[in-house]
Amino acid sequence: MNPLQLNGIVKQYAGHTAVDGLSLEVEAGEIYGLLGANGAGKTTTMRMVLGLIYPDEGSILYNGKPYHSGLQPLMGYLPEERGLYPKVKISDQLLYLANLRGMKNADAKQSLRYWLERFDAMEYENKRIEELSKGNQQKMGFIAAVIHRPQILILDEAFSGLDPVNVEMLKEVVLELRSEGTAILFSTHRMEHVEELCRHLTMLRRSKPVLQGDIREIKKSYPREHVLLRTPQPVPNLELLEGVQSVNRHDDGNYRIHITNEEAAQRILQAAVAQGTVDRFEIQEPTLNEIFIKVVGSSHE
Amino acid sequence: MNKLGAVIAFTYRNKVKTKSFRITTLLLAVLLIVALNIPYAIQLFSGNDGEGALKLGIATGSYNELAQQISEVAVQAQKQQTQAASATTSNTTAPTQIDWQEQPRSEAELNRLIQNKELDGYLLLKGAGKDAFPTVTLVSDNDATSAQTLLQSAAQIVKLRSVAGGQLNEQQLQELSSPVTIVHQSPDQQGSGGTDDNGRSYTRENFILVYILMILFFISLTMTGNMVASEITSEKSSRVMEILITSVSPLTQMFGKIIGIFLVGITQMGVYAVVVIAHLFLPYYQDVLAQFNLHVSNLSWHVAVLGFMFYILGYFLYSTLYAAVGSIVSRTEDLGQAVSILTVLTLAAFYIGIFSISNPNSLIIRIASYVPFFAPTTALIRIGLGTIAWWEVLVSTIILLVSILVCGWISTKIYRTGVLMYGKRPTWKELRRAMKAYKI
Repeated sequence: MNPLQLNGIVKQYAGHTAVDGLSLEVEAGEIYGLLGANGAGKTTTMRMVLGLIYPDEGSILYNGKPYHSGLQPLMGYLPEERGLYPKVKISDQLLYLANLRGMKNADAKQSLRYWLERFDAMEYENKRIEELSKGNQQKMGFIAAVIHRPQILILDEAFSGLDPVNVEMLKEVVLELRSEGTAILFSTHRMEHVEELCRHLTMLRRSKPVLQGDIREIKKSYPREHVLLRTPQPVPNLELLEGVQSVNRHDDGNYRIHITNEEAAQRILQAAVAQGTVDRFEIQEPTLNEIFIKVVGSSHE
Repeated sequence: MNKLGAVIAFTYRNKVKTKSFRITTLLLAVLLIVALNIPYAIQLFSGNDGEGALKLGIATGSYNELAQQISEVAVQAQKQQTQAASATTSNTTAPTQIDWQEQPRSEAELNRLIQNKELDGYLLLKGAGKDAFPTVTLVSDNDATSAQTLLQSAAQIVKLRSVAGGQLNEQQLQELSSPVTIVHQSPDQQGSGGTDDNGRSYTRENFILVYILMILFFISLTMTGNMVASEITSEKSSRVMEILITSVSPLTQMFGKIIGIFLVGITQMGVYAVVVIAHLFLPYYQDVLAQFNLHVSNLSWHVAVLGFMFYILGYFLYSTLYAAVGSIVSRTEDLGQAVSILTVLTLAAFYIGIFSISNPNSLIIRIASYVPFFAPTTALIRIGLGTIAWWEVLVSTIILLVSILVCGWISTKIYRTGVLMYGKRPTWKELRRAMKAYKI
């Protein structure tokens, strides 16, 4: 019985369909990627998962049961537009939010201490949110989402607006939560994060799921169209080979070659070897970014 | 239930902790103390030579006898005034004490005495013709209006006496000089013998109590109502709402907020009540009250208790609506405009009350006391100053309770929808459509 299961949910708002026939399952200890352009229906999906609005059709099951208010302590939510009380002491409001999630005061205090230490933020305990930098405010928002150790965690654009150091720190924490068995629904439009963290994903396009499944399989199902080649000396006339669409030589001496079929890759290698030594040769899998653009359309950001 | 407690405690603690709340409460309490002590201070500073009596001399020319009579009548009237502490004579100043310097002297001598501060003034009687009554002048440095009034009526009586020339007896003279007062009475009062046993609890003390309760109702309601709305809007605009609505049911959240702010309001009122009650029972202040013929014992406690009950009911009626309005607004800047309709309602409740306070049995008050939005003030007026049967109080209370339930129910629905809607303030149509979409 998976912690979270969506069966063909449909949601309509005043004539237009916000989510159209979405099904997915999140296992315990899994990070599930929900991808989509802005307005594709991610937030609506998350709101339905959180029980704030109800699907018109289909069902959402939590550990096999429909939504009930007893789920609130089991769920954690980091909204895209996150925020806390600007003028309330951080420890006060985080403990309050933990209480609302059904935690006892003593447990909440212990958990708060743990998380503040984890994020290297002990000195903020008695400060107010408005006194913190934006990155630190986000960390506090994250603590608010996980302080009660939820079983189902919903992260909406968890890493947006953070510097690389903090992104790494949060990523580590998310991975730690995953290995503890938390089911995480993770929405983003940063493909590299999905590639790095998720096992399964759903790509939404105009309210409809257009691509769904295991990331490795998705990648395999798309043709490999790029060859990376590094040679100490230039290799002329590569673009004349059959099946080669375009050749880019970067300043560092790497070639990035766009091919139309995989056989062309072997011809490129032979040509390169004929010219001299080859430092590196790789037929690259398509990145999720490329797949995303292909599927969703290049008009998107 | 646990969560409701958490919301209440959090709301209350954070509101009471703010500097602005502490300062306003303290400031208003200080203002209240000052206001309560103004009559006492006036009494302190306007006292004459410490004894409180006006020292007056008499310059008579040839009207010794008349002067004598005036002073006698004045002294008598003064005695009556101090004795008659009846509720109907509504004099707001302390009775004037006049200390007569018996022997008449010349004007010049009296002027000198005034300069030496041995006298406060003197009465000057000057001939206006042979048989005519002399003109009477009060020569004084101080403002002696009350003494002037007293002396004027005394002189009037003496004049009557001298004109009538002994043809009328004392009682007839008294009768002539006493003004006619018309007492208003409604037929149902007459039916019960004109006494006050018909649920009518009018006393001047109750009048003041009702007046104060009405002002408090208005101020406190506007303040706490706006607090409720702005709390909710700021939770929305700081986006902490997104986390809150996934942790607590909107109903718990809304009522937690409303009850928390209610306790804040009660705390504030409690501070003022302590100030007022402490004054009422301080010995020196009872003297001050006695000066105005006010007695704590004349207060009807049922007016205070029912007034408090109507305040609570009124608060819950209005605050649910304030919460609904707060939930549909996304930015604090837009809040003022959105709550204006509620401000108008409270203002209407206040003004219907204030304008009808002297006419507590009018039709408009009778009708308004059954309208839930106006009942908190108008029913209070009827209870405190007019006539109202117990069943009328009951009906008004039940109507109020039912409308709290209805408004609370509607407000929760609006709240549930409103907190999820961001951007510009939704119209009713958009709100209804959203409600339908959210299946609320």
